[in-house]
Amino acid sequence: MIEVVDIHKRYRGRSVLNGASFTVEKGQITCLIGINGAGKSTILKAIMGLTPLKSGTIRIDGQPMDKNLYESIAFIPDHLTMPPGMKLSEGLRFMQDFYQSWNANRAEELMKFFSLDQTERIGNLSKGTAAKFNLVLGLAQDTEYVLMDEPFSGIDMFSRGLIAEVFSSHLIEDRGVLLTTHEIGEVEHLIDRALLMKDGSICRDFQCEQIRSEEGKSIVDVMREVYQS
Amino acid sequence: MKMNEGWTDVTFNGRDPVYLQVVRHFKEQLATGRLEAGQIIPSRRELGAMLKINPNTAQKAYKEMEEQQLIITEGNSPSRITLDDDLLRSIRSELISDAVDAFVVSVRKIDVPVEELLDIVKQKYLESNETERQVQEGGDQA
Amino acid sequence: MNRYLKLVHMEVDRFKYILAGLMSLTLVCQFGAVIWMTMSAVSYRKSGAWRNGGSMDYSYSSSPTGNLSFTDVMSTTQSIFMIPILLSIGVLAIYVFLIWYRDWFGRNTFIYRLLILPTARRHIYFAKLTAILIFIFALVSFQLAVLPVEKSIFNLIVPSDLRDPSYFSDIIYSNPALGMLIPWHFDSFLVYYGIGIIAVIAIFAAILIERSYGRLGILYAILYLGISVILLLFPMFGLGLDDVNGYLYPNEIYTIELVMCVVVMSVSVWLGCRLISKKITV
Repeated sequence: MIEVVDIHKRYRGRSVLNGASFTVEKGQITCLIGINGAGKSTILKAIMGLTPLKSGTIRIDGQPMDKNLYESIAFIPDHLTMPPGMKLSEGLRFMQDFYQSWNANRAEELMKFFSLDQTERIGNLSKGTAAKFNLVLGLAQDTEYVLMDEPFSGIDMFSRGLIAEVFSSHLIEDRGVLLTTHEIGEVEHLIDRALLMKDGSICRDFQCEQIRSEEGKSIVDVMREVYQS
Repeated sequence: MKMNEGWTDVTFNGRDPVYLQVVRHFKEQLATGRLEAGQIIPSRRELGAMLKINPNTAQKAYKEMEEQQLIITEGNSPSRITLDDDLLRSIRSELISDAVDAFVVSVRKIDVPVEELLDIVKQKYLESNETERQVQEGGDQA
Repeated sequence: MNRYLKLVHMEVDRFKYILAGLMSLTLVCQFGAVIWMTMSAVSYRKSGAWRNGGSMDYSYSSSPTGNLSFTDVMSTTQSIFMIPILLSIGVLAIYVFLIWYRDWFGRNTFIYRLLILPTARRHIYFAKLTAILIFIFALVSFQLAVLPVEKSIFNLIVPSDLRDPSYFSDIIYSNPALGMLIPWHFDSFLVYYGIGIIAVIAIFAAILIERSYGRLGILYAILYLGISVILLLFPMFGLGLDDVNGYLYPNEIYTIELVMCVVVMSVSVWLGCRLISKKITV
C-alpha cells in the first residue's frame, strides 16, 4: 500500500498541495483526477522523491521512500525521459543494467505488442511511439506499483486503444496502479477507484462500481458535483 | 470460438456498474443465440482485454454470473454456460420484461390509451426492423 | 560501486563524439602546422636563399648554424597549436555546466530517470565529476602522446644534417599553453589541477543549489560561488603574501590557503551530495 498523509507543497508562492491524503492499494487501479495544474503530477513526483515536500509523509508498504524501493515502484512520466541520442535497444539495455526488477522477456513482449523498432533513435520517435516506449520502460519492470502520469494525453486514437488494452491485461493485474488524468473518457471503465483533486487536496475518494450501484452516478456525475459547485 | 463477434465494440454507460453491464451483455448474447448452453466462455483475462475493462471488473462479473448460476466453473477447467434450459429460457423473458418495464414507466407519464400505444409500437418496431435490414444489406454490398 | 561505474561509463559515452571531435581538431591543427612550417623552412634552406645571405626572419631557427630543431618549429607555430588547446579548455568549461543542465532541459528530461535509479544519488554526482576529470586527463594525455608523434614527423621531413636536437622540457615551454597544461614541476601540477578540480566541485555545488531552490536558487548559487572565491583568495591577498612586514610567515599563509582549499572542497562535495539526495527537484 502507498500511503500519502497530509502532504503540503508550495511552488512559486502558490500552495500546490494543501493537505492531500490518500492510499493506493495493490491489485487496484486508482485514478487521480483533476484539472490541469491541480497538482496531480506533483503528487506522483513527490511519491517518487523527485521533489521535496514542505510537510507530510509518504510511505510505501510502511517504509519511507528509499533507493531500494525504486525496484518495487515504477514511474511512467508524461514524457519519455531518456537521452534522445540513445537507440531504443540501448534504452532497454540501460534499464537492464540498472534495475534488478527489469524483466527482459516482458520488455521483448511489449516491444512486439507495440511494434516498436529497436534500432530507432529515441529522439526521432513520434509522440505516440515515444509514449508506447515510455510504457515499455515502466511496465517491463516487475514492480509492485506503477505510477503513470497522463498515459493518454496527446496520443492518437489507435495508440490509445493499444494502451487501454495494456490496462486490461496481465501487465497490470495484481499491481497497485496510480494514474493521473484530466479527461476521464478513456479510463472511465478501466479504473477501480477515483480520487478527485481540488485546491491541492483530495475532495472525493470513492470506488467507482460502488458509486454506480449505490447512487446510480457515473464518475462524470461526481466530477460535475465537485467542479461545478 | 467465434467470440469476437459483437464483443469488441461493446459500449458501456457510465452510470450502471460496469460488471452488471457485462452480465447483461452475456444475457443478451444468450437470448439472441450467439452464446449457447454449455459453451466455453473466455477467461477473465481474455474478457477484460476484449471489453477493455479492468480484470477486477471482469472477475466481479463472473462472480455475479456464478451466483446467478448462469455460468459454471468446475475446478481448474474453464467456465462454461449453464446447461439449465429453464434458466436460459427465463433470461429471455427477463430481458424482455425489463425492457418493457422501462418503456412502460416512461410512457405512462403521457397517459396514452393502450390500443393506440400498441399500434404505434407495432408500426415503429416494423420500421426499425426494415431499416436494420437495409443497413445490413448495404453493409453486405459494400 | 558497480552502478557508479556504469554511470561513469554512460557519462563518458554521452560525451564521446565531442571528445573525439576535440582530439581530431588537435591532430589536424597541430600536424598541419608542424608539416607546413617544417616543409617551408626546409625548402627555404634548400632553395639556397639561406646561403645567399637571406633574411634571418624567415629561417625559423634560433641556432647560429641555421639548423632546425623541433623546439623552433613549436615556438613559431604557437598560436595554431594553442587553438585546439584553448578550444578544448573552453568546451570542457561549458560542459561542466552542461553535464547537469542537459539532463533538465530539452524534450527528454533524463534527470527523472537518473534520480529514480535504485542506487544512491551521490553516485550520479560522483559519476559526473569523474567524467569531467576523465575528459580533462584524456585530452591532456592525448596532447602529451601527440607531441612525440609530431616530433617524428619533423624528423622525417628534416634531413639529419639540417637538424638540431631538442629536449622535451624545451618543447613544452616553447608554448605557454602547453606549459600550463603540463607543468614541469610536480607542485605546480598539483596547484593548477587542484585549483581546477576545486573550481569544478564548487560549480557543481552551485548548480545543484540553483536546481534545488527554485527562483531564489540562482541568487544563492552566485552567493555560494562568491563566498568560495573570497575564501580561496583571502589568504593569498588579504593576509599579504607579498608584504615583507606581514604578520604571518609565507609558510603559514600557504598552510591557511591549503586549509581553505580543503574546506571549500569538502563543503562543496558534502553540499552537492546532500542536495542531490534530499532537496533536488525536477
